[in-house]
Amino acid sequence: MTEIALLARRSVREILRYPEATIPGLFIPLFFLAVNVGQVAKTFPSTTPFLHGQGYVAFQLPVSLMFAVATAASGLALVTEIDIGYFDKLLAAPIRRSSIIFGRLAADFVRGLVGSTFVLLAGFAFGAHIEAGPLGAVLLVFLAACFGVGYAGFGVLVALRTRNVQATNTSFLLFFPLLFLSPNFVPFDRLSPVMEALARANPVSYVIDGLRSLVIEGWEWDKLAYCTLVIVGLIAILTTLSLRAIEQYDR
Amino acid sequence: MSDAPAIATHDLRRTFKDVDAVRGVNLSIAPGEVFGFLGPNGAGKTTTVRMLCTLLPPTGGTATVAGLDVVRDAAQVRRSIGVALQEIGLDPVQSGRELLELQCGLYGIPAARARTRAQELLELVGLADVGERRTKTYSGGMKRRLDLASALVHEPQVLFLDEPTTGLDPASRRTVWDEVRRINEAGTTVFLTTQYLEEADQLCDRLAIIDAGTIVADGTPEELKARMGHDVVALTFDDPGNGTVTAAERAVAGLEGLERTVTERDGTALYVRDGAAAITEIVRLLDAAGLRAKTINLARPSLDDVFLQATGRRLEGAEKETAA
Ligand SMILES: Nc1ncnc2c1ncn2[C@@H]1O[C@H](COP(=O)(O)OP(=O)(O)O)[C@@H](O)[C@H]1O
Ligand SMILES: [Mg+2]
Repeated sequence: MTEIALLARRSVREILRYPEATIPGLFIPLFFLAVNVGQVAKTFPSTTPFLHGQGYVAFQLPVSLMFAVATAASGLALVTEIDIGYFDKLLAAPIRRSSIIFGRLAADFVRGLVGSTFVLLAGFAFGAHIEAGPLGAVLLVFLAACFGVGYAGFGVLVALRTRNVQATNTSFLLFFPLLFLSPNFVPFDRLSPVMEALARANPVSYVIDGLRSLVIEGWEWDKLAYCTLVIVGLIAILTTLSLRAIEQYDR
Repeated sequence: MSDAPAIATHDLRRTFKDVDAVRGVNLSIAPGEVFGFLGPNGAGKTTTVRMLCTLLPPTGGTATVAGLDVVRDAAQVRRSIGVALQEIGLDPVQSGRELLELQCGLYGIPAARARTRAQELLELVGLADVGERRTKTYSGGMKRRLDLASALVHEPQVLFLDEPTTGLDPASRRTVWDEVRRINEAGTTVFLTTQYLEEADQLCDRLAIIDAGTIVADGTPEELKARMGHDVVALTFDDPGNGTVTAAERAVAGLEGLERTVTERDGTALYVRDGAAAITEIVRLLDAAGLRAKTINLARPSLDDVFLQATGRRLEGAEKETAA
């Protein structure tokens, strides 16, 4: 447990000392919010039924949150560490290999909390409010950070399996189709039938739907349940695969 | 336990897809020794070290370190050893001090003790005044020394150093040597790989020469050199091709006290009982055969000669190194 804390502290230090690896990732969500205030709000005024009286910014806030936390930075840091050879030093130390993964993911959680809080505040500045109240806002940030952990697990997995900086760097591209085959811009029932079928099969849709429900609808327990289930599943699967990858590393 | 070897391998092997990197290595290294593993690039030194450090599973044979099997008891082996790998694996984000403190933590040293230990080690390797700087700002020699310090946090029984002085300037190299001696005097067994003859000669109690994955000679530096013969008379020729060297070797074959002959690219090395006495006779025999040497050099056999005899080649860069 202490080894995890020590390694997590080091990763947090790394995040703080390399802000250039984190800050650019926050521009995309901010850009999203800004665009939605300026242009799209004209197409979807707040009288649009699915907006539940809020502006389109509020509707898009969850997507921005997900952008803010979905970063390959952790995987990149790991693959760099493998490249440099520091990873070997960690493997040669009398620690459980799993600690290396858990240390990273713990730092990703911290990164996710900070990043999503920042975007949430930006959302407030652009006029959104959280229908589910302060507790809902906390849950929103928490769930977004958890999604970030699951997502980071993917980068970590690619890093361990490929040991290749390029592959790890491009791994985040996978996120885009998943994000756009979803009720990202409009609710499920406003999508074309084909799109709707695809979106309903896409687990990321339920994350968006769940986070969004907190922002514009209040406490929608079934949507939150699906959202949590997907996030927990994502973390469980990717962490398991990463743990297996690190156990098999050079074995 | 104390007379059990610090490191023992039996027919240790490692094959990568189509490369037999290590092909049956047998070693027995006593506690307290500085053992040198001398070999050219690609000989299998790093692969052997990685297997002994539990970073790479052998594909054949067995190995124990501090009496523990490197596969079965890998976790315990890791507690007993310190490792400084060939590629200096320093985290560029951390300062030297932070890196050492984290390293202490990973070896279970409590935070308060870790702070004093980090300070001790920084002083030991002469980095106390740059301890706050991030490691990416360090010079090659400083990185090497920090890496060495990080292998020592838990006062390991056995220390592995994979080419600890490759690429270092002579002054830094000497600092590392002094460090290794001091660590060894404190009771740590040292397993060190090197491409430098001088390093093996000066630093190691015993050494093995590895070439293409197998040990081709081993013993103390003195034994190895003595095994070659008493003196070596090295001859070079202007025109070493066209059978000149062979002819010269044939001419001196009957020389009194000749112990062995080793052919080189541009000449031949004659190992003789008494070099000074043999030289006049060698010149006479060559003359009689109508041959004339370009240079004649009398010396004691060096590890370079041992290496040449064992592998048929000189260690790359060896000449440059002895000249320096
Ligand atoms: N991971 C690997 N995959 C394939 N071949 C390897 C690997 N590591 C080392 N080798 C090969 O094994 C041989 C021995 O390498 P190494 O142990 O690094 O030699 P040394 O350290 O003596 O220079 C070389 O031919 C090298 O190319
Ligand atoms: Mg090597």
